Amino acid sequence: MNAGPARGSVAAVLQRPHRTLVQVFVDWIRTRRPANSWPALLGLVAFAAMLGVQQLIEPGTQRLLSAVFMFVALAQAWNLIGGYTGYASFGQVAFFGLGAYTVAVLMNNYHVSFWLAMPVAILAGVLFAVLIGVPLLRLRGHYFAIATLGAAEGLREVVNNLTPITGGGLGITIPTFGDQAPTPYFGKPGFYLAFLVLAAVSVAVCALLSRSRFGYAMVAVNEDQEAAGAVGINTTLVKVVAFAVSAAIVACAGAFYAFQQIEFYPTDVFDASFTVLMVIMVMIGGSGTVAGPLAGAVGLELLSQFLRVNLGAYNQLIFGAIIVVVVVFFPQGVVNYFRDAVRTRQFSIFDNVRRYRL
Amino acid sequence: MGQFLQAAAYGVVQGGLLALVAVGFSLVWGVMNVINFSHGAFAVTGAYVAWLMSQRFGLDPFLAIPIVAVALFGFGYVIQRGLINLIINAPIFLTLLLTFGLNLVILNGLQLLFTSDDRTIDTSYASQSFAIGVVNVPYGRLAACFLAIVITVALALVMTRTRLGHAIGATGMDRGAARLMGIRARHIYAVTFGIAAALAGIAGTMIATVGSFNPTTTPGQLTLDAFVISVLGGLGNMYGALVGGLVLGIAESIGGLLLTGTWVNAIAMAVLIVVLVIRPSGLIGKAQYSGRVEV
Repeated sequence: MNAGPARGSVAAVLQRPHRTLVQVFVDWIRTRRPANSWPALLGLVAFAAMLGVQQLIEPGTQRLLSAVFMFVALAQAWNLIGGYTGYASFGQVAFFGLGAYTVAVLMNNYHVSFWLAMPVAILAGVLFAVLIGVPLLRLRGHYFAIATLGAAEGLREVVNNLTPITGGGLGITIPTFGDQAPTPYFGKPGFYLAFLVLAAVSVAVCALLSRSRFGYAMVAVNEDQEAAGAVGINTTLVKVVAFAVSAAIVACAGAFYAFQQIEFYPTDVFDASFTVLMVIMVMIGGSGTVAGPLAGAVGLELLSQFLRVNLGAYNQLIFGAIIVVVVVFFPQGVVNYFRDAVRTRQFSIFDNVRRYRL
Repeated sequence: MGQFLQAAAYGVVQGGLLALVAVGFSLVWGVMNVINFSHGAFAVTGAYVAWLMSQRFGLDPFLAIPIVAVALFGFGYVIQRGLINLIINAPIFLTLLLTFGLNLVILNGLQLLFTSDDRTIDTSYASQSFAIGVVNVPYGRLAACFLAIVITVALALVMTRTRLGHAIGATGMDRGAARLMGIRARHIYAVTFGIAAALAGIAGTMIATVGSFNPTTTPGQLTLDAFVISVLGGLGNMYGALVGGLVLGIAESIGGLLLTGTWVNAIAMAVLIVVLVIRPSGLIGKAQYSGRVEV
């Protein structure tokens, strides 16, 4: 009797994606207890509350919160490959730019509706992730980081030079007015909702994935790849799938960002500082957790906006200094520090510093 | 043909300059497994020190090199001893984030002090050049390239012939064992970082002499170049940066001749990725460093 691949394994996910995803959800529902349901309940309540908030706030705040939601999605996506799987990609912005340019080219050159262009953008992100992931995920540590950084820089130069299609360095504009517009512009409340839903979906996907068999496979690859392979995990498949899911979320964020910006240049959507921000948000929040990237993205984006408004020329200086201080005092991330501190009842920050210093 | 020779000559002298930028970066990466995101910022800091010397006292940039080197060595030593050593046992990307924050602090500090204007150190000889056949060689760049080679050879001699060099190498290979042998790892790491900062400062001074610099775009470009050169040349060999720098310099200047627009940058990145996938230890690096994963 052939039992086929184990339920919930990566092979099973690939063979019957819909049934397995449903199974992950059903398993999750079945294992709910009052003690472990509060994060999900809290998340649902927060989501529902945020759904109504855009009626009460002014457009500037809507725009600010849209950016916060976008970074929540980006940080969650980076956490999948960089946090859980342990492959710190410094080229995630490649998928952001790819998503943005796919949407812009389709809407501008071919008058395709945004709702058709967005799935194509996600598909493009996934395909590119598989294409570069298969050779590059063999590299480790800094070497993987540099290779992905190189891929992102290279893709930007390609977009920059394919002037007939992308408009090159002169940028590209999505038609949004009158009969020219394939899809009417969402406006600030519309983008608030779009980015809110994107952030919520990203958090939900990461939360469900991290508790599934696949999530444990990612952590196993992170902790000891040889051992993970020895217990029957197809490590290459796990890494590529994690990279592709991450790329899908980032490409989707890029698609919405492109439509929100209307007009942009290759240097805007392939800006390496997007990647660096994702990494910082995850690392400072706490990598390998769901709450960490959420806290990191919300905290850092609000902080950087606050500094920009209130400190003028000094804002970048202070932002850098804050990053240095937080990294020195909480090397494992704020969320991980507090979890361990509560568990072991050791709250001294100086003991924490002592643990990681030379 | 003359065009190609000119491009190749320019590539060689430019490559020597780039090698000087990368050699310290490669040293820190090889010994400590730290990617120093603020390397370009150290180079530009050195450039400003030399520029100030030139403005205030009319000091020639080549004579200012010892002052720049000592100042930057002290700066680097303190940064490593006081900050980076604190998180050396944390996951490797923490050090990258720390140096990213440091980069923001240094560059914005420089920008507030000196504004973001393009600066250059004026000398009577930097823009002069002499001709060999059809090829023009600028004096300034040739001197910078010569200096890069001298410094690289000197560094290689220090690393292989002196007790300090052996201590640095041993700490890079196995920190625990080195400490058991009585090597003060905290001090050695700080000295290594100080040397790298001093070399970056000298490179910055040279860049300021043969071209111009500013605190906004120059540092990022220098750090990225240092990245590419270190990977191309490989870690664990002092001549790796020299080989990588020359390869990059020549490839960029000849590529710029053959290709339109910025395609040359796309090609450079493709070459980088192919080298990483096929030969992660670089052209002449030691294989030991490419398989290293320290978590």
